[in-house]
Amino acid sequence: MHYFAGIDIGSTAIKIAIVDESKKLVGHKISASGSMFYKYAKQALGDMLNELSIDANDLVYTVATGYGRKLFKEADENISEITANAMGALAAADGKCDIRTIINIGGQDSKAISLDSEGHVVNFAMNDRCAAGTGKFLDVVAMNLEIEVDELGEYHFKSKGTPLAINSTCAVFAESEIIGLLGNNNSVEDIVAGVHYSIAKRIIKLVKRVGIKEGIYFDGGPALNSGLVSAIENELGMRIFIPQFPQITTSLGAAILAHESHGYESKE
Amino acid sequence: MTEHKIETPKERQNRHKAMEAAAVLEKIKHDFKEPPKAMEYFYDLFERVHCKHEALHGDKAKVGTMCIQVPSEIIHALDAVPLRLCNGFYTDDEIGSDLLPSKSCPLVKATVGQFASNNFSDKPDIVISPTTCDQKAKSGAIIENMGFEVYDMEFPRTKESHESREYWRRSVRKFTKDLSQNLNTKLSKKKLKDAIKKVGYAQHLYHKLNILRKNNNSPILGKDMFLVTNAFFFDKIDNWVEAVEALANECEQRVKDEISVASKRSPRIVYTGSPPIFPNLKIPLLIELSDAIIVADETCSSNRMFNDMVSVDEWFVNDMVDSIADRYLKGCTCPIFTKNEDRKRRILDLVRDYKADGVIYQAFAGCQVYEMEQKSVLEAMEKAGVPILYLETDYSPSHLGQLTTRIEAFVESLKNRKRRQ
Repeated sequence: MHYFAGIDIGSTAIKIAIVDESKKLVGHKISASGSMFYKYAKQALGDMLNELSIDANDLVYTVATGYGRKLFKEADENISEITANAMGALAAADGKCDIRTIINIGGQDSKAISLDSEGHVVNFAMNDRCAAGTGKFLDVVAMNLEIEVDELGEYHFKSKGTPLAINSTCAVFAESEIIGLLGNNNSVEDIVAGVHYSIAKRIIKLVKRVGIKEGIYFDGGPALNSGLVSAIENELGMRIFIPQFPQITTSLGAAILAHESHGYESKE
Repeated sequence: MTEHKIETPKERQNRHKAMEAAAVLEKIKHDFKEPPKAMEYFYDLFERVHCKHEALHGDKAKVGTMCIQVPSEIIHALDAVPLRLCNGFYTDDEIGSDLLPSKSCPLVKATVGQFASNNFSDKPDIVISPTTCDQKAKSGAIIENMGFEVYDMEFPRTKESHESREYWRRSVRKFTKDLSQNLNTKLSKKKLKDAIKKVGYAQHLYHKLNILRKNNNSPILGKDMFLVTNAFFFDKIDNWVEAVEALANECEQRVKDEISVASKRSPRIVYTGSPPIFPNLKIPLLIELSDAIIVADETCSSNRMFNDMVSVDEWFVNDMVDSIADRYLKGCTCPIFTKNEDRKRRILDLVRDYKADGVIYQAFAGCQVYEMEQKSVLEAMEKAGVPILYLETDYSPSHLGQLTTRIEAFVESLKNRKRRQ
């Protein structure tokens, strides 16, 4: 059996997906990027092959993507995360959603990608060098409020009043705004809901730049946050599709590309 | 404890600028397929001027220009050297940041920064500041306060009307008279005619070279073309002409020999927006390192400087001056104008003539007019079915990760589109 790997080296996490000859996902792994992208990526891939008892020789093609893709020299090919994200989304939706728009929120950037009816990227928009509305922003908020990131969803739904307005578009200023809100005796729940709505508004601005088209797919770590998902759905007035493993869409796309590239090269 | 020599601000600044320039030159020279041999002249020129800070013009009168709109023909005709001072150094941008509002355009900040540090290898005797964009117009007064001689040259913000044409012609006539007095040199019919011919010949050579980029086998990359046109800012015009003659001949031969600097699959790009000025060539370099090729541009540091020629009816001084004025107003596609249909038309013409697959539009963060015009250009391209990528950048050397991702994703989507067609 031959296997194909996609490695997405992001700013916060390294995501690896491995598919078999029938493009079926056989395993995935998420680990911290830390300060040594290359070393940790190599380590994570090695560990994963061990866990899945796959012989390194059977891994015939690897595609790297993400912020640190150029550092992973062992890859047979590298590709931008936008193309990989689109390919992965089509595979992950598995026909359950006719995707026309992808929203991705990563550790340090967010994106909106517009697809045509055949799943090709027609347009995309990315936030500018700023952590507002990204996963990093949620980390900072959770830390300020002394809760865990994965508790944010729970708090969101406990909010009783109107979500508070967080106006700052900068993660650093937003932090002081949140401290101000705490000082005014606002509840953590209402602040969390306010943060989610402020991120939702930002991301929708980005989506508007490529055009909102129904068939919206949302991925990246923050898609696990049900409070944020609900805020985006409410702001859009549309249902959005969340895949089973939202963090690994892009690495899955890279793995599928690895499968295709290998097929292509063997034919040649 | 060992004694360390403490650098003067000027020494430190020159060291930083030399490092910036050397790093970019290194990339330009070695990270790509073999450039034409005639490019050596330009690599060497930039090293001499920007790494070694060599002066090129000795005792000749030097007229600094703050913008493309100052007619160089008139300066040449008065035996002076035009030096375009639009600056691309991050080191100077940082100095200028202390003097201008933080959201200003990096090009303006870098230009003001260079004056603030008074650090020129060829120092201008007088600076001509056309009232084109707000930030440049206001910088003139700031520079004057630093003790430089600054001449405001009035420029209209509309170009269709008869009034604006007449206004600009008057402004150019006045400039000609005032500069002649300032330099204490009389303008003669012969000298002005010679200057028009000389600049015209330089434009002709640019066109000759540029037209070769229409071929499927591209003889020269965009990053080298930007270097060639950037050199026109400060080089001796005779040397520049000689070097470009050699380069054009070599490129002609390359086309015949089917030598190409890009692969057949590389998407062909038209570049538009805020001007890439050495060493801030980061976007052109990122594009061409992402396996695309810039085949044409619509920027004031390159194409716009050469595109339109002076056309003279009668070779009398007054007619020549008016014809020069017309060239600089009518041909200009700068976004400072109220309406700017010409710019969209020119971009679309370039896409068609140079068989481009897409357009990349760069705006400097803080360059309001390019930022504002973005939407209408994007709409025009969309209507014409031309893919376009809009990027906002500044001079800082960081930020490359996200820019690379955007450019590579755009190039990948163009490749997919090409394959499907």
